[in-house]
Amino acid sequence: MSGMRSSFRSGLIVGIVNTFIVLLGITNLVGTIVAEWFSISSKLLGAWILLLAVALWGGARAVRSTQASTWKDTSVAGLLAGVSHGVILAVLVGLLASLVDAGVTVREVLVQISPDALELLTFGLPPVVAALVVLAIITVGGVSGALLAYASARYQWQESLAAVWKNAQEKVIALSFVQGVQQFAYTRLIVYAVGLAILLVFPFFAGQYWNYTLGTVGLYVVLGLGLNIVVGMAGLLHLGYAAFFAIGGYTVAILTAPQFGIEWSFWVALPIGIVLAALTGVLLSLPVLRMRGDYLAIVTLGFGEIIRILAKSDALTNFTGGPRGVRDVAGPSLFGIDVSSEFHFIYVIILGIVLAAVITSRLQNSRLGRAFMAMREDEDVAQTMGVYTLKYKVLAFAIGAAFAGLGGVIFASRNQFTGPEDYTLLVSVNVLSLVIIGGMNSIPGVILGALVLKGLPEMLRELDDYRMLAFGALLIVMMILRPEGLWPSKRRAMELREATDQEASSL
Amino acid sequence: MDSIVRPKRTFRLSRLIRPAIGVLFLAFLGWRLYTVLVVQQLYGPDTWLRFAISGVILGAVYAVIALGYTLVYGVLFMINFAHGDVMMLGAFAGYFTLEAFNGTGLLNRSVGWSIFCVLIAFIIGMLVGMGVAVALERIAYRPLRKAPRLVPLISAIGASLFLENAAQLMFGTTRRKYANPDIIAHNTTGWNIVVGGQDVLITYTGVLTFVLSVLLMIGLLILVKRTKMGKSMRAVAEDKEVAALMGINVDRVISNTFAISGVLAGAAGVMWGLHLAIVYHYVGFIPGMKAFTAAVMGGIGNIPGAMLGGLALGVMESVAPAALGMPFQLKDVLAFFILILVLIFRPTGLLGEVLSEKKM
Repeated sequence: MSGMRSSFRSGLIVGIVNTFIVLLGITNLVGTIVAEWFSISSKLLGAWILLLAVALWGGARAVRSTQASTWKDTSVAGLLAGVSHGVILAVLVGLLASLVDAGVTVREVLVQISPDALELLTFGLPPVVAALVVLAIITVGGVSGALLAYASARYQWQESLAAVWKNAQEKVIALSFVQGVQQFAYTRLIVYAVGLAILLVFPFFAGQYWNYTLGTVGLYVVLGLGLNIVVGMAGLLHLGYAAFFAIGGYTVAILTAPQFGIEWSFWVALPIGIVLAALTGVLLSLPVLRMRGDYLAIVTLGFGEIIRILAKSDALTNFTGGPRGVRDVAGPSLFGIDVSSEFHFIYVIILGIVLAAVITSRLQNSRLGRAFMAMREDEDVAQTMGVYTLKYKVLAFAIGAAFAGLGGVIFASRNQFTGPEDYTLLVSVNVLSLVIIGGMNSIPGVILGALVLKGLPEMLRELDDYRMLAFGALLIVMMILRPEGLWPSKRRAMELREATDQEASSL
Repeated sequence: MDSIVRPKRTFRLSRLIRPAIGVLFLAFLGWRLYTVLVVQQLYGPDTWLRFAISGVILGAVYAVIALGYTLVYGVLFMINFAHGDVMMLGAFAGYFTLEAFNGTGLLNRSVGWSIFCVLIAFIIGMLVGMGVAVALERIAYRPLRKAPRLVPLISAIGASLFLENAAQLMFGTTRRKYANPDIIAHNTTGWNIVVGGQDVLITYTGVLTFVLSVLLMIGLLILVKRTKMGKSMRAVAEDKEVAALMGINVDRVISNTFAISGVLAGAAGVMWGLHLAIVYHYVGFIPGMKAFTAAVMGGIGNIPGAMLGGLALGVMESVAPAALGMPFQLKDVLAFFILILVLIFRPTGLLGEVLSEKKM
């Protein structure tokens, strides 16, 4: 009978998952996106594909957990999972529909349950009928999921697919052309050069919107590369990165905006902003030198919030403009020509990225970078080996902060505005997420992370509300499945794998 | 690892930093206190009492949240970053319960009904907190138990982001007003005492919050010190592998620990709602950070310490802006500042044991 119990459990779990999918409005969202892509008028398709996919997963999970070994057992497990899942969803749909019928404004409590969204689930039928329909659909989904999973296990679909994929991969690698390219010493350089060339030409053809989006992504690449030195190389989890970003932004604002009467040029403010941010990095690092991991994260987070609250408060209004911020921050000009449009800023940002990437890649194989990495792996051992960890921590903070300062100067100048809301905790979390999801200590990883986390949501505007939700979920999933990131540096991936293997074998 | 003999530290730089910061800080403190208390004399005794009372009550809530941090930290040596958000969901659960009772007219039918409704709100808040915390542990932390230390922390940050945004998407961004029963309406019902010719109101919600938090702490102490579950929790905190060899189901004990911390967070959420009357998706973040500060201040992993730290932080936070003559806007800065100071000067906290650096 334990088989029955675990089937119910699977149904229950996926039932809860689907309940939240409905309550979070993800059905509506997916429905809208699918309807747009395939240019169909109804959102039903996308919504039900999503719900059914979860139901299939529930059936498959039931088969795996009961280890059903015949077609009959499989269908029973799938049926149980499907029915328990279906009942939960049916109750939810029936309840919501009857509440709406009774004249309760459900939207006041559950914002996503608009009449439109509810109709996706009820098909416009009366509550009881709708609940039964939902139950039937989900049950069918559960059973088919179970059967599919069983068939896949029995006929080894997964294995044969993997074999086909591997075969194809090997064939491509075996081609003499590919081998030649792989062995050619300058392949990497050529790829970089071509990429850079495309990047340099792209802004001429892209419109203002694309240039702006690309600029934002680029800015986050600069920030990510900077944070990568602190988090990825030196292993110091830093959650107050936005503070240095803010210092860069406010420096350029104070030095160039007309309201303060200094009105220096952007090019003068740029190095000052970088140096000031680096100095703040040193200052912050001094009290936290002896802290590790969790404590460091919280203290840096506190530091970031302190800077933001100070910038927002009345105490510093004369310097920061308080909550209203500073307007008319100057853009750069070259030889008397104003070059502060989106188009021109792309090149400033590309310059920043190249600078950051070169410094990072030089660091990776330098004495300094190796000291950082040794410190990340084991502070005690690093110290025993003669790495003066305190000094290197200060350096890591300072270098990371300098990049943030650079990003901040460019950011404020590009927006021609700076205010406390530009530097919330979310900025720090965004940058941290892109470094971790892209791949710690890997330059292409950071670029990929920025493209995925900042570029993709720009393209899918509907996703905007769900962006932070997805980041949160992604961080958890990545930590469980692929802690080294999407495009890891080889060394980091090896280290993480090794660590888990060792831990596993020592138990 | 512990067998490595540490080299004797002879770093001059770091030795100078601490005393320098300390002297500067004390000088600043003395100067501000002198200016405000002796030179300016802005506030009468009634105002100070008001600050102190609101501080104690706020501190009681911080203390209950801090207990959850401390428990989890004691067992897993990890900061449950999402703890404040568990509290937020508890507050929402209590809010919806009270709203439902209010909608059906039961909330103010009689005194008995009112008490019953508040009780049910607490129970539902605690249950929701427990469910969320256990699910959190199961999904976000358990698969990572053997990973390097940075990994579960990042996962916890992700969980916190996820919960906050899920609440925002489900319940919207409006700030909702808690429906207290009339007998404990906030800011209007309470005992009046007269100090220096001025009325000072001690609200019923405040008293309720304070008493409940003390009861919760006593209950937790009994649970940890006297029951079998508490004993196994302490064993797991001491050494997971040995505990497992002694026949303790480590996974279940950790799950239980999260359940208890979730119950406490849920209760704190309902208290927060009843006392401060506002609930929205971001309500857990700042109290969560402050409660963490409180837990560190009291000595993380130490239950009476968390209580003491919470109360101390609450009082400091509400008295200090006035006493130091700084703008009240900067109240939140103060907590972070205290956290940094505690970590510099006494990282083991007020009542903390001396932990090895690996555990810190």
